[in-house]
Amino acid sequence: MNRHTYLLPWFVAAAVVLVLPYVFSSGAAITMMSLMGFAIIFALSFNMLLGQTGMLSFGHAVYYGLGGFMTAHALNVIGAGKWPIPLPVLPLVGGLTGLSFAILFGWVSTKRAGTAFSMISLGIGELVAACSLILRGFFGGEGGVSTSRTATLRLFGISFGPQIQVYYLIAAWCLLCMAAMYAFTRTPLGRMCNAVRDNPERAEFVGYSTQMVRFIAFCVSGFFAGVAGGLAAIHYEIVTSSVVGAVPSGYVLLMAYIGGVAFFIGPIIGAVLMTLLQISLSDYTGAWQLYVGVMFVLVVMYAPWGLGGLLLMHGPLLSAGTFRRVLPAYALVAVPAAMLFVGGVLLVETSHHLLVKATEGPAMRLFGVSYEANSPIVWIAILVLLVVGGLILKRVSPRVSEAFHGARQAALNKRVSA
Amino acid sequence: MSTNTGTTLATPALQLIDVHKNFGATPIIRGLNLEVRQGERHAVIGPNGAGKSTTFHLVSGRFPVSSGQILLKGESINGLPPYMINRRGLSRSFQVTNIFPRLSVFENIRCGVLWSLGYKYSFWHLVERAREARERSEAILEQINLSARRDVPAGVLSYAEQRALEIGITIAGGADVIMLDEPTAGMSRSETEHAVALIRKVSEGKTLVIVEHDMSVVFDLADRISVLVYGQVIATDTPQRIRGNPAVQEAYLGAHAEEPDHA
Repeated sequence: MNRHTYLLPWFVAAAVVLVLPYVFSSGAAITMMSLMGFAIIFALSFNMLLGQTGMLSFGHAVYYGLGGFMTAHALNVIGAGKWPIPLPVLPLVGGLTGLSFAILFGWVSTKRAGTAFSMISLGIGELVAACSLILRGFFGGEGGVSTSRTATLRLFGISFGPQIQVYYLIAAWCLLCMAAMYAFTRTPLGRMCNAVRDNPERAEFVGYSTQMVRFIAFCVSGFFAGVAGGLAAIHYEIVTSSVVGAVPSGYVLLMAYIGGVAFFIGPIIGAVLMTLLQISLSDYTGAWQLYVGVMFVLVVMYAPWGLGGLLLMHGPLLSAGTFRRVLPAYALVAVPAAMLFVGGVLLVETSHHLLVKATEGPAMRLFGVSYEANSPIVWIAILVLLVVGGLILKRVSPRVSEAFHGARQAALNKRVSA
Repeated sequence: MSTNTGTTLATPALQLIDVHKNFGATPIIRGLNLEVRQGERHAVIGPNGAGKSTTFHLVSGRFPVSSGQILLKGESINGLPPYMINRRGLSRSFQVTNIFPRLSVFENIRCGVLWSLGYKYSFWHLVERAREARERSEAILEQINLSARRDVPAGVLSYAEQRALEIGITIAGGADVIMLDEPTAGMSRSETEHAVALIRKVSEGKTLVIVEHDMSVVFDLADRISVLVYGQVIATDTPQRIRGNPAVQEAYLGAHAEEPDHA
C-alpha cells in the first residue's frame, strides 16, 4: 500500500468543498454551507473533550463566543487603523483568544473530572454569560459588536464582500482544522486522551497525570472553538452576547451527540445535519426546535453511537456484500416508521397551529393537503397513525436487529474464510 | 524511566518504615516495616483483610500514608502522585483488572510504553511513526502471548487474556520495580501455570513484589516471603524458613493445613 493513501480522503474532501458551490449555487445554499463550515469546527472541538477525553462541557460556547468577540474587535481596530493585516489570518485571533481563556478557565476546571468538571464548566458558562450583559464595552450590550470584514488589507484583489469568497475562506479553515484535529487524535497525547477517557486511574499508573492530559486537551479544544467563533464573526459581521450563552453550549452538545461522539466523523455529520435542519426546517415550521429535541432523545435512547455510528455499523456489511440481507427488514420497518413520522408531524403541526396561530383560524396546510385543524377526523387519524404505527413497530423491530446481526455474522464468516 | 544511578546493590529497592494508614478512625496498616532487596522476587502473604492491597496502594501512591516513610531505591516517595512514582521506575498491576477497555490490545500496551520513551504530552509526533514505541509494544505482546489479539478491543478479551494484558501494561514502561496484586486470582490451574511462567519471564533482572493467595505460586516463585497480619509484617524470610516459622503457622498457615508440600 502506498504510504500516502491516508491523504486520499482529504483530497476528496477538498475537491468536494471546491465543487459544492457550483452544485448548490443559490445564495441561501452558499450561506448554509458557510454556517456548516464553522459548525463542523465547533462540533469537532467539542468532541475533543466529550468523545476523545471523556469530558462533558456545558460551557463550550464561552471559547467560541469570546473568540468571535475578539475577532470582531480586531477587525474594527484593523479597519480603523488601516493595519496591513489580511482577513484570512483573523480566525487566528479567535483561536488564540479561545486558547487564552481555555488556559485560564481550564486551569481550574480540569482539576476535576466527571460530574465536577461538567458543573464547573456550567458555572463558568453562566459567569461569562452574565459578564456579557454587564461589560458593555467589550460585549456591546444588547446590540452586540458590529464589524466589517471588507475593511482589511486586500490580497490579490479579493475583497471578501461576496458570500462566495467568505465560503471559500471558511471552507479552507474548516479543512485545515479538520485535518489538524484528526492528526491530534493520532499523537501520543491524543492516544492518552482516549486512555484517560477509558480509565483515568490506570493512566496515572503508566506515568501520565490525568489532570495534565485533560488540561492540554481542553486548551487545544478551546483554540479550535475560538477559530470557529472567529469565522462566525467574519461571516455574520456581528457578534451578540447570546453566542457565549447556554444555548450555543447546548447546541454544540446536540450536534456532536446526534452525529456520534465515538467517531471522528460523527460531529461532522451532526454539524451538517443540524445546520441543515436549523435553516431549512425553520422555514417550514415554528416548531422546528421540538423536532430537533425529539431527534436528540431518540438518538440517546435508541442509537447511542449517533447517526455516524449507525452509518459506520453498515460498513462491514457493505464491504462483505451482505448488505442486501437487511434490506427486506428495513423496508418492513419503514412502513410503521413512516406512519409514526406522519402521525407525529401531524400532531405537532396541528397542535402548533391551534395553540400558536389561533388567530388565523383553523384552516391549515400540511404535506400539500388543506384541512381544518379542529376537525375530529384529523385527530382520529393522528391517533390511529400513532397507535397502529407504534404497535406494528413493536412487532417488526426485533426482525430488524435479527436481520442485522445475521448479516453481520455472515460478513464476519466471509472475512474469516477469506 | 529512572535508573539505579547513585544507589548501590545494598540500597533496598523498596523500604517501608513504620508505615501507618487509617481509614477514618480505623487503623488498617499499623506500623508496617518491609524491605525488598534489589533483584529479588518478594511475595507478600497474609489472611484476608491483613492490608496487602492497601500496602500496594500506599506504595504506588494511590492513597497517601497516615504516617511513616516509603523509600523507593533509597529516595522518599511519600506524598507523590502515582504518575510520579511510576516515572521513578515503579509499576503495579491491579487485583481487579484495570485496562483501557475501548482501546485495542496493542494500544493498551503502547499507552504503557509512551512515557518511558520520552513522548510525554507530545501532540507534535504522530504515534504511528514512533517506530520504537511500536516495536517495544509488539515485543511485549509477543511476551504475553497476545500478538494474535493485537487489534481487538481490550474489553472483549477473555478473563485470562485480560490478566495477561494487565501484566503487559505493568511491565511495558520498563520499570525496574514491578508490583503484581494477585495476578493469578480467578484462574484455572493451567492458566495459573502459564501466568507463573510469564511472571518469571517478565521479572527477570527486576525487583518483583507480588501479593498472592495461591501458596503453590508463592512458594514456587518467591525468593523471600513477608507475612502480613493485621497491618504488620510479622516475619520476612525465605520460603523454607517461613514454612517452619511457628508464629506464621499460628497466624496464617494454620488455616492452610492442606498446604501442598514443596520439596
